[in-house]
Amino acid sequence: MTTLTKAPEVAEPARAARRPLQLRARLGRAGVYAVLAVAVLTVAFPVYYVFAGAFMRPDEIASYPPAMVPHSVTGQNFSGAVHAIPLVRQYGNSVLVAGLITLAQLFTSVLAAYAFVFLPMRGRAVVFGLFLATLMVPWEAIIIPNYLTLSGWGLGNTYFGLVLPFLASGFGTFLLRQSFRQFPGELRDAARIDGAGHWRFLWRILVPLNKPALAALAIYVFLSSWNQYFWPLIITRTAEMQTLQIGLSSLRDSEMADPGLILAGVVLSLLPTLALVLFGQRFIVRGLTAGAVR
Amino acid sequence: MPTASSPPEPRRRLGEHGLAWAFLLPSVVVFALFILYPLGRTFYLSAHANDLFGAPSRYVGMKHYTDLLSSADFRHTLVTTALFVLFTVVPGVLGALLLVLLMESRIRGVRLLRSAFALPFAFSVASASVVFSVFYNPASGVLNGLLSNLGLGPVGWLTDSKWALLSVAVSTIWMNLGYNVLVLSAGIGSIPGEITEAARLDGASGLRLARSITVPMLGPSLFFLVVISTVNALQSFGQIHILTRGGPDGSTRTLVYSVYEKAFAYGSSDFGTASAQAVVLMVVVLACTAVQFGVLERKVHYA
Amino acid sequence: MKRSSRALAALLVSGLALTACSSTGSGGSSDDSGAPAASALDQASGVTTIEFWHSMTGKNAEALTALVNQFNTAHQGKIEVKPLFQGTYDDLIAKYKASVQQKATPAVVQVYDIGSRFMVDSKQIVPAQAFADKDGYSLEDLQANIRNYYSFGGKLQSMPFNSSMPLLYLNEDAFKEAGLDPAKPPTTLAELGDMAKKLTKKDADGKTVRYGFGAAIYGWFVEQLLAENGALYCDSDNGRSGKAGKAAFDSAKGAEIVQWWADLVKGGYAANTGRQTTDAQAAFKAGTVAMHLESTGVLRGYTEAAKFTVGTAAFPKTAADDQGGPIIGGASLWISGPGHSDAQKRASWEFEKFLSAPEQQAAWHTGTGYFPVNTKALDLPADKEWVAKYPQFQTAISQLKATKPTTATAGCALGVMPQARKGVETAIEQTIAGTKSAQQALSDAAKELQPAIESYNSSVG
Repeated sequence: MTTLTKAPEVAEPARAARRPLQLRARLGRAGVYAVLAVAVLTVAFPVYYVFAGAFMRPDEIASYPPAMVPHSVTGQNFSGAVHAIPLVRQYGNSVLVAGLITLAQLFTSVLAAYAFVFLPMRGRAVVFGLFLATLMVPWEAIIIPNYLTLSGWGLGNTYFGLVLPFLASGFGTFLLRQSFRQFPGELRDAARIDGAGHWRFLWRILVPLNKPALAALAIYVFLSSWNQYFWPLIITRTAEMQTLQIGLSSLRDSEMADPGLILAGVVLSLLPTLALVLFGQRFIVRGLTAGAVR
Repeated sequence: MPTASSPPEPRRRLGEHGLAWAFLLPSVVVFALFILYPLGRTFYLSAHANDLFGAPSRYVGMKHYTDLLSSADFRHTLVTTALFVLFTVVPGVLGALLLVLLMESRIRGVRLLRSAFALPFAFSVASASVVFSVFYNPASGVLNGLLSNLGLGPVGWLTDSKWALLSVAVSTIWMNLGYNVLVLSAGIGSIPGEITEAARLDGASGLRLARSITVPMLGPSLFFLVVISTVNALQSFGQIHILTRGGPDGSTRTLVYSVYEKAFAYGSSDFGTASAQAVVLMVVVLACTAVQFGVLERKVHYA
Repeated sequence: MKRSSRALAALLVSGLALTACSSTGSGGSSDDSGAPAASALDQASGVTTIEFWHSMTGKNAEALTALVNQFNTAHQGKIEVKPLFQGTYDDLIAKYKASVQQKATPAVVQVYDIGSRFMVDSKQIVPAQAFADKDGYSLEDLQANIRNYYSFGGKLQSMPFNSSMPLLYLNEDAFKEAGLDPAKPPTTLAELGDMAKKLTKKDADGKTVRYGFGAAIYGWFVEQLLAENGALYCDSDNGRSGKAGKAAFDSAKGAEIVQWWADLVKGGYAANTGRQTTDAQAAFKAGTVAMHLESTGVLRGYTEAAKFTVGTAAFPKTAADDQGGPIIGGASLWISGPGHSDAQKRASWEFEKFLSAPEQQAAWHTGTGYFPVNTKALDLPADKEWVAKYPQFQTAISQLKATKPTTATAGCALGVMPQARKGVETAIEQTIAGTKSAQQALSDAAKELQPAIESYNSSVG
């Protein structure tokens, strides 16, 4: 696409003398460290405090000005949080809902992407354009009819109600289509000569060879379903059917909740995503920036 | 299409056409039921008054829209929405850019730093907001505690209408920082090493390197971030619902929150007005994306 | 997934049942708004099942379940009540509206106080009075003010169940520390303001460590204060003599109340913890607020959590010569008419009579802290024991006894009451922020509410 037009400018020789530059560089380096240190403290402090506060005694965390380090580690906040709301059940709900949505989206997107790349179709461009158009509709703008539809079907406060609208995705189709298009033509022809039909070719050869793209999509979908807030808030009513995110919010509003209890709930909710951030960053980046690759 | 294949015989092609539609069917059904139909239904509801139970009762044409235009409350909502976008997108993207550039200046411990900056990414909108609600608590919050050590405050972070929107924006910036850093780091990682090396050999460093090489090369990533952040800010809901419920005095009531309030809060079921607002939301989101593609994309370098 | 498929199945079955009902029920059923005779239940064969929607959680839900089980055991083989939790009061109303559209309402539904007008206008209910009149059942034991709240046109519409009222809560330790006598609490807003100034404590640096006063920005308190004054909140006698068409809270009295509140906050004598009631409660429990407005329902929680002596006093009057009193809050139980058999209606009425009887109300009161709706409940030993344990509750009993039932203390019955309350809360916030005068803020709130009132009234027809 566009070529790099500014490159020659860089090639100019540095005009500044050598020595002062080094000094300036050294000073600059100290400045860089200082700014980064302040930034790290600011960004990481909330995370630190979540964990510290979760282990503080109620009177400690309520003291004014608040304590920064727990004096004696207590687990009572955790048991309190689990008793205040059905946290375990809600955990399970979140895993189940996000898992179902992820599996379903992978399945429907694989099929659709396959059709777009490997199957003949009249009006392919138009249909694909329509798939992309679904990405342009903000979910919040059509949430009212969806709520009315699903509660009309009696699916309010059910797992069906939580997952049904998210079983397919224009984004997933788009992403996998990009990936499938890279598939070498010779391999495909070879498979056909071996007598592999579409179904076998798709699941035995194409899918295994596109694992990175599928993993990236899976992580992206799982995280966004796990983090959903608006939809589960309105479609569920009982604590037993609510997802973890809604549970946390209701924990904050519950009358027996003090800060320690809330933070303990947050710590529990963080475990899976924190593990992902600390150990699976590469996959996340791939999944999340997939939209940037054009 | 990169794949070369011999022309199959007509019968087989007919079967393949069927198969293609069969493969598309699951997605098409979901889209039809949960995107296409609701889209039309939103317009329909926005042109109808409700009966006592929230069902559309009679056609009122553009009335809900003209009511919105003449409502000072709704104008305030639009302004609040715009401010929220401004407060979150600009500092969020620039802050992440600054951090990523600083980490590029060949310092020790970059990997550790990057992980630290990515930490907020582990927080969902609900967990981050719940944590900030603890921080912002006027009486027992750690923020006012720190301020009082400095002899300042207390500040009504969420209860003072001058502060509330900023406070919600700060929590949003923090929450998104991890993602922004991840995206820009990935962007920097994909800049060909030879280009930066060549520039360094020519004596470019620090600001100059950033200005003339890194930032222009980051164009696509920055563009992507600006678009995504804007759309996200326009659609923000959880943090407002958890932190302020749109208050105090409507100072944090954005468009999405207003839709929620009219349709679902206080047992109000005013689906007509809420749908009209939802249509406005849709138009705003589409317009913003279109403008950004039109204006910004032309200035972006693609390597 | 099992649960959802069961829901689907239930949906199908109820759909079938519904069509069956409408084909047979059209001829035999009596007038929907009238109450069937007791014989309807006696003649019914098998078990009459009734669905009961409620919004109780935690301790309250446990107490409710115990009562329902007791009822079901007593009516084994005849009536079975199926309690179904439906989320918050707001959630429940939304669900109820949907059920009306689908013609599948629950037989009995618990609706919050400010939803009463809507329930009457919905034309889906059989008034409790109709059953009482048919049976010659006396409603005299129901506390007069509570009965007053749920009566429209002099007829009791729903059976009160969980009732509460506001109190003034005191941190007695703070009173003593400030040299005040907790036995002489403030009785008017002016006195409350004066004491708040004395109770506000600052440390050496000038930081406030304790505020004299603090309450959630909750429109309910303004409604209460107006009622204490005997003032109306909306026209048509608070919507009791006819449909209310205009809000009346933007009176001089309303402005005086809001201004009083804002002045205390601006003067630094009252903590502003925002609208979230839990935040205001936390401030009182932590001792950072010395006087506090809350419902009777939190009394037990306060005495258990606070590290100081919790005192209570009557809700303040706006001035010494105020003739009114507090409004009752909480929720009541409504019986559905259309779509339900006579046997179901009778069974619902039996259930309501049971829940409002003295023994059950005593159990309910002592188990939850709600105010007993049946005056006889307070005479039972179990209840007396509880009041002895929480003597602060006596304040509530005396306060209600001293209140004459009037249209002011009946509270405003506006179809858009939740929005009205929210408008007043915004007005308080605006006055505190200083962006508007109290009078201006309230007038604007009333003006903004007007279209909502009109559109509500026109949709009722």
